[in-house]
Amino acid sequence: MTTFDANGITLERVREYVWEIPQEGDMRVPARVLASEALLEEIKEDKTLEQIKNTTHLPGITNHAICMPDGHQGYGFPVGGVGALDAENGCISPGAVGYDINCGVRMMKTNLAYDDLRGHEEELVDSLFANIPSGLGGGGVVEAGVDTVDEILARGVDWALENGYAVKDDLLHCEDEGMREGAAPEKISQKAKDRGKNQIGSLGSGNHFLEVQRVTDVFDDEVGEAFGLEEDQIVVLIHCGSRGLGHQTCNDYLRKIEQQHQGLLNQLPDKELAAAPAGSQLAEDYYGAMNAAINFAWVNRQLIMHRTRTVFERVFDRSWEAMEMDLLYDVAHNIAKKETHTVGDGEERELYVHRKGATRAFPAGHPDVPKAYRDVGQPIIIPGSMGAGSYVLRGGANSMDLTFGSTAHGAGRLMSRTQAKNEYWGGDVQQELEEQEQIYVKAQSGATVAEEAPGVYKDVDEVVRVSDELGIGDKVARTFPVCNIKG
Amino acid sequence: MGFELRDHTADVAVSATGDSLEATFGAVADGLAAASCDEIPSESGERFSLSVTAEGREALLFDYLDELIYLRDVRAELPVDHRVDSIDVESADGTEEWSLEASARGVPLAEIDAREVKAVTYSEMSLERTDDGGWEAYVVFDV
Repeated sequence: MTTFDANGITLERVREYVWEIPQEGDMRVPARVLASEALLEEIKEDKTLEQIKNTTHLPGITNHAICMPDGHQGYGFPVGGVGALDAENGCISPGAVGYDINCGVRMMKTNLAYDDLRGHEEELVDSLFANIPSGLGGGGVVEAGVDTVDEILARGVDWALENGYAVKDDLLHCEDEGMREGAAPEKISQKAKDRGKNQIGSLGSGNHFLEVQRVTDVFDDEVGEAFGLEEDQIVVLIHCGSRGLGHQTCNDYLRKIEQQHQGLLNQLPDKELAAAPAGSQLAEDYYGAMNAAINFAWVNRQLIMHRTRTVFERVFDRSWEAMEMDLLYDVAHNIAKKETHTVGDGEERELYVHRKGATRAFPAGHPDVPKAYRDVGQPIIIPGSMGAGSYVLRGGANSMDLTFGSTAHGAGRLMSRTQAKNEYWGGDVQQELEEQEQIYVKAQSGATVAEEAPGVYKDVDEVVRVSDELGIGDKVARTFPVCNIKG
Repeated sequence: MGFELRDHTADVAVSATGDSLEATFGAVADGLAAASCDEIPSESGERFSLSVTAEGREALLFDYLDELIYLRDVRAELPVDHRVDSIDVESADGTEEWSLEASARGVPLAEIDAREVKAVTYSEMSLERTDDGGWEAYVVFDV
């Protein structure tokens, strides 16, 4: 058997790109890592493997805890982790969803070609930066009272539709049509709502950004056509989440679990994996609160998209409808969803599928894929760094068997933020990108540019190649940045 | 004594020491401020006070840092120059109640280039006595 030694943890090769850490000690199931050897060399450098092993201690974990090709160290659960926990006898873990509930990515198409945009890059990046709230304390597109926050939490993008920030078509191209059922705004604390009310429609900072991109390659013509993507086309990618409201909600529930379910917590190797037993009041409460925060994040991205349409209208002096600025899709990558999966010998089971830094990747024919894409599989959007390409994939035929219908979510970090700031200076990074790659970057903070420099990320091409080879998410198109704004 | 920012792939970790629990908590909070902003102005902003209670020592540290992040968002100010005036514990019926009184200077976010630290985490958190009678803490923040 081929093995890979990762600083004391031995992985056994199951087949190409599938590695297993066998069950031992208190592990309830084996852990799996989906990666090439090149990616494993990077993954072994931090605590990713230890964290994915820890994840197997969660009650009700089914088949395997799985680390995606872009996996890296997080807190508790690794980033790039998928864990399916039995919804009847298992548990739900706020830490395995992550602080930024429904952090995710959406892509909006246009009918503009790269040539239409050339010469307008600076005007566009300045106008986007001036009009789309970013950074800390930058406010939001909408300043609202707590009543409005409650409506957003309950109704998601439907609220945006009623208030003129969305069109019906936007809802049809979003998971769950932009409204998560079972959202319980009353289970979100006042503190979380107070943080959220000034941040509705804002990017935040860190790795969140808005990017205008051009499509450089379409690898699959048929699916490309179904997605409405063609070479040279301009698209807009928006990456952000539920802001302070989501962060506060995660911590509120971590603390409640600590106070109410100490017994379960004591069995876990990392306190950050804290989980509420399925069927408990707290599990129900967290699920309702998380669903509400999911709605909040969808509205956040919707408002940013709406504002982007307005900016394009001003810069290109045409209506957004004339520029066909339609939503391709919106994917979440910090989320837990109750889903039915076939496990073991054909038994159907309801599971809380936790995807933290992982994307749902349902294949063609799955009933949960919106009608618009049911024949080809759901779109998956994988952002790269601001100097590298991003990808559009579609849910692959093997995803249900291998990964509970999931794939990677991005390039995955390679270098810490502190190290990045020693290696790079924001101004240099910005200048190089503009002079060598014609990428126009504007950020609230130079330090953010340094921390997010292209060199701090893994090779997104390799991550996507492995996803494609495994058949969990198939390559459809590649895009390259033109303008990037960040906090 | 004081704090250091430590490498962590995706996030930021703060390691801090102090000759008392109060000094150590304050040093972690100063680390949080440093992780949020490279150049903190020495004058700007008014001081404000805060109190936190929790059921244990580590939980108190967690809730203190959580409260500072909450106050940053709702006050639109970055809390800096932290002072923890007192940490007390009362025991009754086998349970403990820990409480903390602290203050900080709130620098308006509009005046600085600050980055968002999303949350304090329990991941790898430690709070231990040192051999010389002081304390050391290690806290990972989600960025």
